[in-house]
Amino acid sequence: MVMSGTPPSKRRDRSIAPTRRRLLKAVGTSATLGAAGVAGCLGTIGGDAENTVTYATLNPMSGTYNSLGPTQRKGAELAAKHINESDEFGFELKLVKGDTETDPTAAQQAARRLVNKDGAQFLFGAISSSVALALNEFAQDEEIIYNPGGAAVPITGEACNEWVFRAETNTAQVAEAVSEYTVKNLGNRVWFHISDYAYGESVLKRVRSRMEAADANLEVVGVSRSQLGASNYDSFISGIGGSDAQVAVLGMTGSDLINFVGQAASQGLKDRVNLMSPTMTFAVVRGALGKAAVGTYGGVRYVPQLETGDNRAFVEAYREEYDGEDPDNFARVGYESLRMTARGIEAAESNEPAAVKDQLPGMEMDTIFGRNQFRACDHQAMNPTWMGELVEGSGETAGVKLLSKVEGKDALPPCEQLGCSLG
Amino acid sequence: MSAATTLLEQVLNGLTIGMVYVLLAAGLSIIFGVMDVINFAHGEFFALGAYVGLSVALATGSGGFWVALLVAPLLVGLVGAGVERFTIRPLYGRNPLYHILLTFGLVLIFKDVITLIWGQQPYQFAKPPLLSGTVTLFGFDYALYSYFVIGIGALIALGTWLALTRTRYGLVIRAGSMDRDMVRYLGIDIDRYYTIVFAFGAMLAAVGGVVLAGRQNVAPGMGNAVIIPAFIVVVLGGLGSFRGAVVGGLLIGVIQTFVRSQFPFLEGLAVFLLMIAVLLLRPQGLFGNPEWGTGGEGGDLLTAGDADVFDSALKRRIGVGLVGVLAVTPLLIGLPSYYVNTLVVNILIWALFALSLDFVMGYAGLVSLGHVLFYGVGAYATVLAVMHLVPSLFVALAVGIAVSAVIAWVVGYLSIRVSGVYFSMITLAFAELFFSAVFKLEWAGSSDGLFGFDPVYGLFAGPSVGSIELVGGVSVFYYVVLAAVVGSYLLARQVMRAPFGSVLQAIRESELRTGFIGYDVTVYKRRAFVVSGGLAGLAGGLAAVQTGGVSPEFLAWIRSGEVIVMTILGGMGTLYGPMLGAGVYLVSKELLLGITEQWQGVLGLIFVLFVIFVPRGLVSLPGLLAGRFDRSPGGGTDVLAEEETEVTD
Amino acid sequence: MSDGDPLLRLDGVRAGYGETQVLDGVSLDVNRGETVALIGRNGVGKTTTLRTILGAVTPTAGTVRYDGEDVTGLGPIETVRRGVGLVPEERRVFPGLTVEENLAVGRYGGSETANRRDPEEVLETFENLGRRRRSRGTDLSGGEQQMLAIGRALVAGADLLLLDEPTEGLAPLIVDRVSELIREINEEGITVLLVEQNVAVALSLADRVYILDRGRVVFEGAPAELEANESVMERHLGVTV
Repeated sequence: MVMSGTPPSKRRDRSIAPTRRRLLKAVGTSATLGAAGVAGCLGTIGGDAENTVTYATLNPMSGTYNSLGPTQRKGAELAAKHINESDEFGFELKLVKGDTETDPTAAQQAARRLVNKDGAQFLFGAISSSVALALNEFAQDEEIIYNPGGAAVPITGEACNEWVFRAETNTAQVAEAVSEYTVKNLGNRVWFHISDYAYGESVLKRVRSRMEAADANLEVVGVSRSQLGASNYDSFISGIGGSDAQVAVLGMTGSDLINFVGQAASQGLKDRVNLMSPTMTFAVVRGALGKAAVGTYGGVRYVPQLETGDNRAFVEAYREEYDGEDPDNFARVGYESLRMTARGIEAAESNEPAAVKDQLPGMEMDTIFGRNQFRACDHQAMNPTWMGELVEGSGETAGVKLLSKVEGKDALPPCEQLGCSLG
Repeated sequence: MSAATTLLEQVLNGLTIGMVYVLLAAGLSIIFGVMDVINFAHGEFFALGAYVGLSVALATGSGGFWVALLVAPLLVGLVGAGVERFTIRPLYGRNPLYHILLTFGLVLIFKDVITLIWGQQPYQFAKPPLLSGTVTLFGFDYALYSYFVIGIGALIALGTWLALTRTRYGLVIRAGSMDRDMVRYLGIDIDRYYTIVFAFGAMLAAVGGVVLAGRQNVAPGMGNAVIIPAFIVVVLGGLGSFRGAVVGGLLIGVIQTFVRSQFPFLEGLAVFLLMIAVLLLRPQGLFGNPEWGTGGEGGDLLTAGDADVFDSALKRRIGVGLVGVLAVTPLLIGLPSYYVNTLVVNILIWALFALSLDFVMGYAGLVSLGHVLFYGVGAYATVLAVMHLVPSLFVALAVGIAVSAVIAWVVGYLSIRVSGVYFSMITLAFAELFFSAVFKLEWAGSSDGLFGFDPVYGLFAGPSVGSIELVGGVSVFYYVVLAAVVGSYLLARQVMRAPFGSVLQAIRESELRTGFIGYDVTVYKRRAFVVSGGLAGLAGGLAAVQTGGVSPEFLAWIRSGEVIVMTILGGMGTLYGPMLGAGVYLVSKELLLGITEQWQGVLGLIFVLFVIFVPRGLVSLPGLLAGRFDRSPGGGTDVLAEEETEVTD
Repeated sequence: MSDGDPLLRLDGVRAGYGETQVLDGVSLDVNRGETVALIGRNGVGKTTTLRTILGAVTPTAGTVRYDGEDVTGLGPIETVRRGVGLVPEERRVFPGLTVEENLAVGRYGGSETANRRDPEEVLETFENLGRRRRSRGTDLSGGEQQMLAIGRALVAGADLLLLDEPTEGLAPLIVDRVSELIREINEEGITVLLVEQNVAVALSLADRVYILDRGRVVFEGAPAELEANESVMERHLGVTV
């Protein structure tokens, strides 16, 4: 935990049974919903409690990250469907949904609603790191399992706890894939430009240190910061263009990245300096940039064309379910979070999060990326990562050409470096 | 690259972004100057321009950009005309606050309409091939499109200037922005011109949207992102001055660019500091005239204080009954604890926040647009106290109250020097300043916020908050919140009943007269502000405990907007009205969430209807209905006030 | 005295602002071609009377008839369109507009009366203004502003011209010039209702005088009558001439 000195796992001393358990035991009392008459249901509580798993998917459907929420949810919905259809799982999965509004308070309240009212025992979602951190706390308080959709390292790093299991690839893993390749192939005179917030800083820190480790000749030509949400990058672009940098590493994402690259392409920077960003290959970014993205480089957490694990089957199933649409990284995270956790539920033969949380760490399973697991010491999935180049695509959108791969075990730095030690 | 060309390039960068500001600010400024309407929805016209332009371009195919540039502003202008005709016109003669409220409600509606039609993903607007790429001028390569932006902005500014100075409509509009009533006294129906002015302003914003879409992606948040800078430009240039909008826009663009490269730490803060400085030193801006555009400030703030139908004995019984229900029922009925621990606690916290706002807005008439500042500061102070001082919940809340009260004193001291619209603007600037600042502070958790804090009920140790539960899973914290909120209400009511309260109300009704009687108006306002800030800080602290942490979202401007909506919805000037408003708003949201994802738009619509038809809020509804049946005059909707009260004959 | 119906008739007008009652039953007539002066101390309701005539204030009781028509509560735009013009207290020239532009605004409004003046004509007659035609409203002196305000009302076109304290704050020489101007205007056929603090000016210009005191008419008659009646002058005006 960032601020207090006590190790994360010893932080709480829960002497009273948590709310949710108490509620489950109160099965049978006819709980009237009062004057509100809300269109929700008490659902499975009081029913086949042993064979039902209520999973909540809490996605940013409004607020700053609202363009990413829908696919995240679709992945989870597809997983729920497959789990219910498959013989592999002996339970029924009920999916309940909520909106984080990209706001920690609203997210936490939505989570409370899903847990206390709808009886969710498992929670997935969020992309913004402040929302994910709030939900980390929530999961620990409520003793439910949480799969974060955010990529910030502290979520399974300094702020980790035993209830959190992350299937999303974190920024340190991506940094492994991009740093060495970039400094060795794109240029060792590097300019860093980041958005001034936690994610940007983490890109700067990790990519720089990995680059230094890979190549002693690294020369950091310049570091510049822009405000989160700034929409005009001309002056930074001019600055980079005027320096002797060979490659610019961009620690930004979403609209910021889209605008930067768009404007850089306009100004001709892309032709003079290699542009690399850990999130350059995101579907949302490629979709918005169109041809302007061609010729840039980025980290790859997931692309539909991967030949790993059972990705092909996943992609086909997704296309069929969603009118030919390809899954993106967030859909993959939604799908795999639920599936991997479901496997833990099945193996533990229990829908009690406490039992599942002991089952999952280190449990090997087949995933979209092949054999994978939630690492025991921090519950982070050991996903492989790639370096990619954006090339001409079949339409307006650029395609991704994979340049190199870092295996799961190599991509994830040791737990001591990340600040978590769960056992 | 030589230093001279770098400088030139920076200047061009500044002018490019500045031109977009000009397009936005010009419309906003003219609308305010002529109509006394502060149009918060202006950013949405900008966004609408981009989206409509996108669709037009896609439908047209090649050459679409140019078609869009022509057609989209016209369509958005039509929308603007409709908005003026049906929503703003009913509000003429009212205090400018109601325009702010109405247009804020329109923002909520427009945002959801946009997401409904176009979805949430960002789009890229294809630049026309003619304008792509770089061009070499003045010895360096620069994006051709940027030159285009500067060029088209200049062209439109010129065209607008010509329209204002060379045409009959322009002349009447300019006269109207200086002295609207005198224009009427010359027999000209200036109201007819308003539709044109508003539509024209919307068109300008739409052009800005299409033009900017070529360099930036088109996303639902784009309206929000530009409205605050647009206000800064208008304040700097002078409300109501077209020339000010042009100079201000370019100046802000250039300043932003240079701050970015020379003083990167100040990026994002500099413009708010500038706005505050301008409002304190020269509120009329560069080109505004202090006497212009303020002739006839419009009516009073419509409070529900006098519109009460129920007598105080009945109200007391209702109040006691309500508190009793809130205190006892959760323990009896086996409601899912979500409702009590989360929903009702949330309502109580917002009710407290709304109460704090009513204190200054409904009683002293201080329209604070940045009240979220005290809420957020209280939240941060509470969390930091637990993390660094003692983990005691009560000590931390007290620290939160104290810190926000102090900040309120400072902000109040500075803000109260200016009045009316300027006061509202400066409170907004302070809130945005703190919001931007907190991102840069490591010790405040920067963008991640501070989580994992664990307050306890004792002083140094004790049962952790949230761990003690009573019958039915109801957390003890619920009672803490209930006690805090009820206590705050009683405190506020006591303060208002004392002479202090009467002086505040007198100030709201006529500051001038109250000053003449001999009261130091400034001191009273400041005290009200401090109490209000403390209460808001308490609300923020409780919210932080509820959330389990604090993050920059606690300071987001939209919260200021929401609390104002609740206050007006309930009926300001009553203390309990806004609290009721908070409850109704949040319960409605809860109900709507089950039905549609566009709940904000629906709430926005309801709010707009209230602003137009039931401005005194829910509390006044019984009186309104009673009036309908009795057919007695007085109470209910306001009559357009032609002139403000005069002292001499 | 004139013949036929008066151009303007107020009958039992009560009016005020909000809860403050200012006019408590005012009745007066203005006949065509006359110059009528309305005088009284500060705060008695003189400006309110003009505003009520113009329609900026709606009476709570009583009627205002103009040219035979009941215009009570029609509002300023409609009343002005029928031929009533106002030169307000404080003049209210548009500060950021030039003299020419001020007049032009007048031209776009007002009424279609035969008494409409051409802006060029006004600029010629009021030589000061003609020389300053490109100057902004704020740059004009008090006297020039007064001329402009009057000129603007003439350009707009008025059969009945309401003047509210036209000589207030002006130097004696300018006061004379303005007085002269008002006399000329009246001689050219425009009916004038003049509110004045300056009793001497009022008496020199008026055909008839009304004195207002606490919202009521307390005296009506020719200037000579008033000058002869010292007690009235002292009681209601606090003035001896």
